[in-house]
Amino acid sequence: MQKYEFLEHTADVTFKAYGRDSNELFENAAEPLESTMVLLDEVALGDTCTMEIGSDSYENLLYNWQAELLITFEIERFAVKKCFVRIVGLSLTADRMGERLEPNRHRLNAEVKAGTYHNLAVTKNDIYHADLTMDV
Amino acid sequence: MAFQELIKLGEYVWEVPQDAALRMRVPGRIFLSEVLMKYLERGAIQQVANVATLPGIQKWSLAMPDVHTGYGFPIGGVAAFDASEGVLSPGGVGFDINCGTRLLVTTLFKEEIEPRIDELITTLFEAIPSGLGSKGPLRLSEKELNDVFFGGAKWAVNQGYGNPVDLKHCESNGCLDGADPAKVSPLAKKRGKPQLGSLGSGNHFLEIQCVDRVFDKKAADLFGLKEQQVCIMLHSGSRGAGHQICTDYVRMFQAASRKYSIALPDKQLACVPADSQEARDYFSAMAAAANYAWTNRQIMSFWVRDVLEQKFNTTATLVYDVAHNIAKLEKHTIDEGRKEVYVHRKGATRAFDKDASYGIEQPVLIPGSMGTASYVLHGTKKAMSTTFGSTCHGAGRVLSRKAARRSLTWKGVTEGLQRKHIAIKTDDLSSVPEEAPEAYKPIDEVINVVSKLGISEAVARLTPMGVIKG
Repeated sequence: MQKYEFLEHTADVTFKAYGRDSNELFENAAEPLESTMVLLDEVALGDTCTMEIGSDSYENLLYNWQAELLITFEIERFAVKKCFVRIVGLSLTADRMGERLEPNRHRLNAEVKAGTYHNLAVTKNDIYHADLTMDV
Repeated sequence: MAFQELIKLGEYVWEVPQDAALRMRVPGRIFLSEVLMKYLERGAIQQVANVATLPGIQKWSLAMPDVHTGYGFPIGGVAAFDASEGVLSPGGVGFDINCGTRLLVTTLFKEEIEPRIDELITTLFEAIPSGLGSKGPLRLSEKELNDVFFGGAKWAVNQGYGNPVDLKHCESNGCLDGADPAKVSPLAKKRGKPQLGSLGSGNHFLEIQCVDRVFDKKAADLFGLKEQQVCIMLHSGSRGAGHQICTDYVRMFQAASRKYSIALPDKQLACVPADSQEARDYFSAMAAAANYAWTNRQIMSFWVRDVLEQKFNTTATLVYDVAHNIAKLEKHTIDEGRKEVYVHRKGATRAFDKDASYGIEQPVLIPGSMGTASYVLHGTKKAMSTTFGSTCHGAGRVLSRKAARRSLTWKGVTEGLQRKHIAIKTDDLSSVPEEAPEAYKPIDEVINVVSKLGISEAVARLTPMGVIKG
């Protein structure tokens, strides 16, 4: 199963993420966001940071998940290379592995301003799908 | 919504017919020439139609000639909503609240700068933080940040970053009334605090330009622009503060839209009644971000002036500063009556027929893509009657960033700039193709359309001599 794929969008960055369950969907949705911001090949799995968020729908949870990853990157300067997500009901706990950004060692790609609600949808047929658009 | 459904109303005016099945409350209008028509995307037409479904929209959902697909609103979109029965939508402003342009005119002429262009661009590049994750050198206290949110450019001038006359030459005097830092989340403050006085990245830039041609001598004289004169143009916004304020309120308005039973064709269009507490809170936070952006451009102008003084023993005068991502409470003549409306301009520039700054029409600043011309125009009466006093904001993208990187190389693009004797500085060469002229519509055609429509009139054309790409 493909983890995610980028789609064409004139101004911004759009991608589809996939997962066999909601945990995997959220895990797979993290990488395209992180890789838009930094070259992930150069990020080591040095540290782990955990987080908990909740919401009232899968869509809102995904929006919050993206927003949290973005904040971690911009404020804490921590790039996430891999993560383990556990969703119970609409509460999400995540262990995020990666490392603190160092200007001399990590190559930044683009500044993501925010995740958006544009066409944001979480659907399930045989697997979970999510459509996401980020403002860059 | 398909292309064949568009109705041609005039040489540059296309109607998106009001479709009851789509719940459109008004028709859409897209302003395009035949040349620009080929760039129009289906997604942009759909987004014009989506905006037309929002409660209280007046007359038309508009798209300027630089229109392209965005998220929620199209980029280049303008919509006015009744101030009592309409809505406020954070998605109609966008994440980069008060992203805008500012033009400074120097006392120098092209021939004086040409031999020293590399020196000037390098010094400016060192003086003004730019690029990915750029931070400003200021270390603000919580109180000072709140003062920025309240006071806008006036705060910066009071701190010594400029002259009181600068404020006269900013849209809304560089400060939107009604800002309230208490409506800005701690996270937005945390994101914004270290970034004040930084250009940012992406399509944000600083350009050294030269007045290449004057079209309207009277207006150009008043704006202080002469042929061959050197100018500095800045394009930047409210950085992480604005991004987070929009993120917070779009999230909050998901539930609020349901509470007020507002049906949304796209969740990014989340909105609330303009007279609700939620709308007042958003407006107060949006105004705070707008004021942050004016402060940001004012501080960067101070550093530009500092470089000019050190290197050339001269200074620069602010021509104008104008927003192109903003919602404003304005009075417009609608169906022969005066009405208060919230005009949302998302990738569109205010173009009023009257402005206190020079006592004539309002100056309008339209940047082109990297390596192409930019324009100074002025607003018109026609804009007041047909576009709620609005015009385009730039060339408008045609290639996605991904497609630009695929089809162009940074080396090719920088060599192209060098052939045109345009110096470039950036800390991110790999992103240079994203802003190449090929990634945008032709600016001259966009300006031709707004001029022919009469929604703004060209005053002068500026060509680039050097660019700092953020």
